[in-house]
Amino acid sequence: MTSTTHASFIIERRYQHAPKRVFAAWSDPQAKRAWFVEGEGWDIRSYEMDFHEGGEEKSSFRFVKGEETFGEETLFSNDTVFNEIIANERIIFTYSMARNGARFSISLASVEFSAEGQGTRLVFTEHAAFFDGADGVHMREAGWQELLLKLGDHLDKQGFGQ
Amino acid sequence: MTKRATTHATFVIERTLKHPPAKVFAAYADLTQKAKWFGGPPEWTRSTHTLDFRVGGRESESGGPHDGPEHTMNALYWDIVQNERIVMSYEMLLGPTRISVSLGTTEFKPAPEGTTLTYTEQGVFLDGFDDAGGRERGTHELLDQLVACLNS
Repeated sequence: MTSTTHASFIIERRYQHAPKRVFAAWSDPQAKRAWFVEGEGWDIRSYEMDFHEGGEEKSSFRFVKGEETFGEETLFSNDTVFNEIIANERIIFTYSMARNGARFSISLASVEFSAEGQGTRLVFTEHAAFFDGADGVHMREAGWQELLLKLGDHLDKQGFGQ
Repeated sequence: MTKRATTHATFVIERTLKHPPAKVFAAYADLTQKAKWFGGPPEWTRSTHTLDFRVGGRESESGGPHDGPEHTMNALYWDIVQNERIVMSYEMLLGPTRISVSLGTTEFKPAPEGTTLTYTEQGVFLDGFDDAGGRERGTHELLDQLVACLNS
């Protein structure tokens, strides 16, 4: 029998950049790739994003330490569909994660951007269904914590211009 | 400008049905069967119901009271395990306005009486147009209709 576990988490972050700039790091494929896909230990096999409501984002990446961690060459893939996009304010998307072609989670996520002083308050909320004991909410939350740090680094490197 | 606001909520509904998992699953997988129980109250007008039941396939259902507004559900199927599990995401629209986006998991498990059905909805309700309480009540009504349909 299949087994399914449900869990949710919320991450709140503040960035010293206006909502328009923070949002652009999600809407521009090049910027998104820089912080969301590229990373040490990952060999990017493909990435494409069509950022509009109903559009898809697909990435696949080989985990460099797959052999030693999982005992086999390990390719992860993320398939995303954008449900709602409100420029500079809100993004809602659903996505699946798969390891070597086998789906192990389906998630619904919302990202909310609001102005706070000169900067932005970002609230990321994810609801997920994990299959057959795979992955787990703690790993997923840790993954997004790291991604949102990378987003901050990416924004800081871009500078503080408008 | 609309004030943006989101409310996140999760609810779980469990039902024991006097029918085997394959029969209950079929009431979700087959459009003719699903159309008998899935929709608004009987007095509502139904305008469309389409279902492409496969991973990556979509479902759309709309209808509403005679004096409006139209209620539309658009779903996308993310995971299907025959007779065991269905995971879909769906949005609800009231007229042209999106009022929620949800992830819905339906699990079918064999039970001595037949099937234990567990539905878990994790949703984000938008800009004050809807709330999780109302959605949960509505889902109970849908499952009542499913039970009546299976028993008939």
